Amino acid sequence: MKPEADQILNVSADQLLAAAMSGEGDAYGRGTSALHALLMKFVAREYERGAEIRAAENRDMRAAFAELAPSAHDLELRSSLEDAAKGNDQDLSISSLNASNAELRRLLIALHADLEDIGARGAEARIWLLLQALAARRALSLF
Amino acid sequence: MSAELAEKLTLYLRRELAAPDLSVHDLSRIPGGASRETYRLRARFTRAGAAVERKLILRRDPPASLIETERSVEFRAYQAFFALGFPVPEPVALETQGIVLERPFFIMGEIEGAQAASVLAPDPYGSQREEVGRQFWTTLGRIAAVDPIALGLGDFDGAKRVENCWSHELARWEKVLDEDELEPQPIARAALRWLKRHPPPPAQKIALVHGDYRSGNFLSDAEGRIRAVLDWEMAHLGDPLEDLAWALDPLWAHHDPSRPGGMLPRAQSLALWERESGLKAEPQALFWWEVFASFKGLAIWISAAKEFASGTNPDPVNAFSGWYCLAFHNQVLAQKLGARA
Repeated sequence: MKPEADQILNVSADQLLAAAMSGEGDAYGRGTSALHALLMKFVAREYERGAEIRAAENRDMRAAFAELAPSAHDLELRSSLEDAAKGNDQDLSISSLNASNAELRRLLIALHADLEDIGARGAEARIWLLLQALAARRALSLF
Repeated sequence: MSAELAEKLTLYLRRELAAPDLSVHDLSRIPGGASRETYRLRARFTRAGAAVERKLILRRDPPASLIETERSVEFRAYQAFFALGFPVPEPVALETQGIVLERPFFIMGEIEGAQAASVLAPDPYGSQREEVGRQFWTTLGRIAAVDPIALGLGDFDGAKRVENCWSHELARWEKVLDEDELEPQPIARAALRWLKRHPPPPAQKIALVHGDYRSGNFLSDAEGRIRAVLDWEMAHLGDPLEDLAWALDPLWAHHDPSRPGGMLPRAQSLALWERESGLKAEPQALFWWEVFASFKGLAIWISAAKEFASGTNPDPVNAFSGWYCLAFHNQVLAQKLGARA
């Protein structure tokens, strides 16, 4: 068994933080080191959960599109939503997941605006639940 | 620290302070955000036969700034509010060109024996939080009460009519979002549409809006006295509720949303602000400005992420803003607006 990347990052971040809090060195250097340590902790989480978060987001957005596409007023958008709802993520690299995530987010923005234009309150509420879930998944804790 | 920077500063300050024997000592960079490089220094010289030491702060533009601001805005705000007796550093010198130190900069007096809270700290004010809070909200109310034209700041950027305050500022930050968005932002876009569909009532007055008045942007001492309000670089004319809402934003609450800024309970904070400003924190209007505050935050964090990702400003605070702060405000807005859907 070897140390995983997130463990290496977390342990290194703790050491960097301890050095930053020791009071040695100049204030700017200590502040910058502390920030680097926090960033390493975020990256450690990203290593462990980055692909899962994106895959779950993409799955949730496709499910919402399948459910809400019939409510879309714009016919071209409706067709795009129906196509997107049938997609799936086969390549689990972060870059590939990011690309599909960005495309799905673009469609989500268009769908949300379309639903607002026609005053589809129930569907709008469904979108806000989805947005809350997206935001909660990406939330980061400092402690 | 760069000997070259110290040498250039020495020559500059000899001229500015009319002190031919001036020497610069202890020049060191200190934390001060990603939008300016901040340095502490000591200037020693003789005047009328007596030894003088001035403790100064240099704020220089970075190679690429997180928020593009007019160089003179912060300096002029310091001049105006220093003259009124507000707690701000004493402005000393301003250079808007890059001839002296390669980039524009200004110099101000250092405030000793006081420090700024880290926005990450869970309880930065400790037993002084109520005293700091009283001064914090009172000072903001006093800023709102000032007439910017009488203060000589009537030419600052911003809305000139009370009906336009919201649309002027929304357009400013929508432009930032449009220009700097690296990936689609469904929550920011939804918030933007909501803000446009539900405009607030006209401002009660045109005020000088600090633009970044919050916990972390002032210096307080061990007795809980606010000694200096800092970072006026985004100052503009607008609705005084804009500053109030920004200061109330949960990002600055030090993880205790019941106490905005980590200081006083919300109702007490608003009462202090209303008393000093002579204005009303009308709930519907304030809600709009609070949504706007989080949207503006998103625009700033998106811009920060781009600065870091593009390599134009690799300050780690930009990466931190693009991750932590962006995720934070996405969650705030999704909760706030989702509850109204």
